[in-house]
Parts: sequence; C-alpha cells; structure tokens
Amino acid sequence: MKTTVLPFTSFDDITLWNNLKEGDEKSFSMLFERYYADLVRYGNSLSPYEEKVQDCVQDVFTDIWVYRASLQGSVVVKAYLLSSVRKRIARLFERDHIFRKTTSTDSIAFLLEFSVEHELIDDDYATKEKVIHLNKLLNELPSRQKEALYLRYNQGLTVEQIAEMLDVNYQSASNLLHRGLLSLRKEWKGAFSLFLLLSSSSF
Amino acid sequence: MQKRNTYTEIEDFLSDESFQSWILSKIDEDGWEEWTLESRSRAKLVEDARHLLLAMKVPESNLSTSDIQKALQTTWLKIEEKENQINFIENSRDNFYRKYLLSGIAASIFFCLMSVWFYKSHFSKDNIVTYKELIDENSEGLVEQTNNSSKSQIITLSDGSSVLLQPNSKLSYPKIFTGNERKVYLSGEGFFEISKNPTKPFYVYANEIVTKVVGTSFRVKAYSDQPDVEVLVRTGKVKVRSNDLVGKSDQEEVVLLPNQALRFLRSDLKFNKITNITEDEELVRSVGNIEQLSFEFTDIPVSQIFETIEQAYLVDIDYPKSKLKDCHLTTSLSDQPLTEKLKIICKSIGTNTNFEMNGNQITITSEGCN
Repeated sequence: MKTTVLPFTSFDDITLWNNLKEGDEKSFSMLFERYYADLVRYGNSLSPYEEKVQDCVQDVFTDIWVYRASLQGSVVVKAYLLSSVRKRIARLFERDHIFRKTTSTDSIAFLLEFSVEHELIDDDYATKEKVIHLNKLLNELPSRQKEALYLRYNQGLTVEQIAEMLDVNYQSASNLLHRGLLSLRKEWKGAFSLFLLLSSSSF
Repeated sequence: MQKRNTYTEIEDFLSDESFQSWILSKIDEDGWEEWTLESRSRAKLVEDARHLLLAMKVPESNLSTSDIQKALQTTWLKIEEKENQINFIENSRDNFYRKYLLSGIAASIFFCLMSVWFYKSHFSKDNIVTYKELIDENSEGLVEQTNNSSKSQIITLSDGSSVLLQPNSKLSYPKIFTGNERKVYLSGEGFFEISKNPTKPFYVYANEIVTKVVGTSFRVKAYSDQPDVEVLVRTGKVKVRSNDLVGKSDQEEVVLLPNQALRFLRSDLKFNKITNITEDEELVRSVGNIEQLSFEFTDIPVSQIFETIEQAYLVDIDYPKSKLKDCHLTTSLSDQPLTEKLKIICKSIGTNTNFEMNGNQITITSEGCN
C-alpha cells in the first residue's frame, strides 16, 4: 500500500506546499493526487452525497490555488486539508436545507463505519471474534468520539490539530479520544480483562 | 525507536506510524516482532493494540487513478473560472473607485464654483449683473420661458417678434408689451427677429449689456457662466450699451450694422467691436441654422420655403401639400420675424390662406394659390 505512493513521497508535504505557494502547478497536482481520495472518503463520512463531497474537496483545492499567495507557510498539510474539507461540508450543510441534517457545524454526524481488516487476521478463531466484537463496540461510539479516533489514528493528526478541527480546546479533544477508548475498555473488561492488563503493564 | 520502550497505553501504539505499518501493511522495519517478544506484559499490550487497529480499518476509497485525474482536470477548470470571476470583480471594484473618485472631484469642483459664485454675487456686485437681478429690477409681470431641451425653441412675443431660444437658455418677457418700450431679459443665447416699430424701441437686457433695436434681426449670447457677452447683427441696426446697474453713467454706446458683432468682456466692462465676423473663429463656429439660411426666395415652391422655415426655427409646418404643390413664390423674408414671414407667405399664396401657431407646431390652412 505504501509503495504505491512512493513516487510522490520523494517530496514531503511541506516542500510541495511551499512550491505551490510560489505558483508551482506540478506541486499542486502532486498534493491533489496524494490527498484527493483520502479527503473524499473523509468527506463521505460526514455526508453520504458522494458528488457533493467531491465538489467540496475540489473547491478546497481551488481556493488553495487561487489564494495561494495568502497561505501560511508552516502548516501540517494533511491537517489543513482535512480541516478545510470539514469546514466546507459544514458550510454546505448550513446552506442546503435538503442536504441538512443538523444545524450546528460542530454536530455534523460522523457516519463512517470502521471495518475489520479480515485479510490480516491470520490468527485463531477467538482473535477474529475479538476483533469483530471490538469493531462493533467502536462503531457504537458517539460519532464525535469516533471522528476523533479516526482523525487521531487513521489520519495521524495530533491532539492539538484535532482540537482545532473540531473547534474545541485541547482538553476536550483529549477527553473525546480518551473517553472513546475508555468506554471500549469498560465493555472490554469482562471479555478480555484489558483493564487488569493495562494496570499490570504500568509496573 | 527507543521511544516505544516508554509506551504504557494502547493509544501510544495506535498512533505510532511504524507500528501501524507493521500491523496493517506487514512492513516491520523496526523489528516490532522481536521487541514485542522481549516482555510478556508488553506482548499482551501489543496484541490488544493490534486487535484494535484491525478493528478500526477504514474502507478503501473506490476512486481510481483516472477518477482522480478527472477530478484534477475539473479543479483546474474551477480555478480558471474563479480567477476570471475575481478579475472581473476587481475590475468592477476599480471602476467603482474611479467613478467614486470622479464624482468626488466633480463635487469638489462644484463646491469651488459655488463658492466663487457666492463670492462674486456678494462681493463684486458692482461688476457682474445676473439675469435674476435684472428680472428683479423689472416691475412688470414677466413670463419666463426656459429651454431645457437639446433643440432651439421658438418664442413669439406679443408684438410679433420672434426669438429662437437656444438650449440651456431662458427669456423673460411681458405677456403684452405696454408703454413706449419693449423690454426682454435673456440668459443664454437667442436669435431675435424684431418686428419694426420705430415708436417702441426693443431692448434686450443680457447680463451687463443692453441691446436696443427698432426692427432688425440679431443674436445675443449671454450665458451667465461665460466671461463675455456677444451680440451679432444680421439685418438692420442695433445699439449696444452697458446696463445702468453696472454703474457707469456716461457709458459709451456701440452701434452695430449688419454682419458686425460685439464682444463685451464682463470682467473689465469693455466692448470689443468685431467688424468682420468671418474672421472671428468663435462667432463663425457658433453660427446657427437660421443665420446661415437665406430667406431670399425667387420663384421657389412653397414646400421649399416651408422647409427652410422648419430648418431655421426648428418648427413643424403642416400644410395641405396637394393643394399647394404648384405654388411658387418670390419674396424677401430676411428681415422678418417668424410670424411676419408666415403672414407674408400666407398673403402671397392667397386670400383664403391662414396660419396658426401652437408652440413649435404651425398649421397652414389653404384652398390653393391664386
């Protein structure tokens, strides 16, 4: 999976970003190719309307190019892009009444369902069951906790970046993440005694 | 990679890219497998983290490379569109500022002019005479006609005299001339054709000058916002002097004969007589239709004569075309005001021919020529 993106990774995000700021179309295209699918997928977790989401992502890139001169130089490109897509979809929610499900931008439902990486589970049946059960618990989490977990572990954003994106302070973002996993652990405890395991590991 | 030795929570592993890549892509560059086996409790933690990661898979995007390329194309088109839009908005904003600036300048200029006017009308009264002051001087009930249109307007006075009033000009005159004088007041430009009456001289008051005539045609140009006043004589004889209001009692009087003109400099109250009007560029340029057209007709069809009058006075003449189509006239109308001209024409055509004037509309009724 990682090897397929190797030709692009020869330039890191921030180099491409700064070239883009200088008006380099190639860098722009490379960033687009690198993140487009990912951003669309993230967008789709906020809104199921695939075409509108693609439109939003394209608009985000359009604005980046058009207003490239006023872009900040020191950003985490991925976080910036994810955040821009989220804002734009939120705006779409506000504008489009048919499209709208909620009125407040920070209560957009994160609709993404985590799935199980079946091909990688070459363990015994019990492990498979565990993973499937965990997946079920994860998907039952409140959408905001789910989104925080997704941004933290699937997109690799820092807690600060998540806080900024979800428009909450650091502690709230940290709580979102923690509470997500904590409730998992509680559910988990009976079946796998993770709690005990964690406390024992701290020795 | 010794950072991992301090890991105590599942979260620590979950956010470790190297760990993720080991679990999800089976790329173990950092020897995770060996490291895990070093400690039993560590192994348990790693296992739980692994299970969680495996349960947190995000569905792969179903976008193909060509989908992404297509999206990129679309985005470049969007960019182009947006840039054009922005340029357009910026241009119109520029225009807006330009307009705004211009109206600002215009307003300032207007303000300056108003100040100058205020100053002049209040502090140099002895020099400049305005139309309004002239009107106020007159105690007779005056009628005022203003021409705000873009074409000349014909005014017929009670004595049969006609005035062709130019755009942006106004004329005040008594409805009926009484007494031994005929006085009118002009602001702007007018071409006067005065009916002859030696016992009742005709005066045109225009700014600082007074033009006295008995019966003649002449033009007076006296715009309040221009530095001089012009009088140009076509026929007859006129006398021009400065207005008493200006303050000189023993004023000179200038006599003008046909094709002579006079320019009065308002600033220093000086008369400039122009004996050859063809040499004065400004006068030549401002010659109107009426002064160029000849009213000397020798065996000319009536329709042609009417057409000349229409052009000269910018009036509309309605006449029975079929009845008058074979009528020809020989006449000299140069020295006559419009009503006189019409009277003479009607008389010449036949006894049962009459005219009626209603503003710019003239209607001729006739049973044909003799």
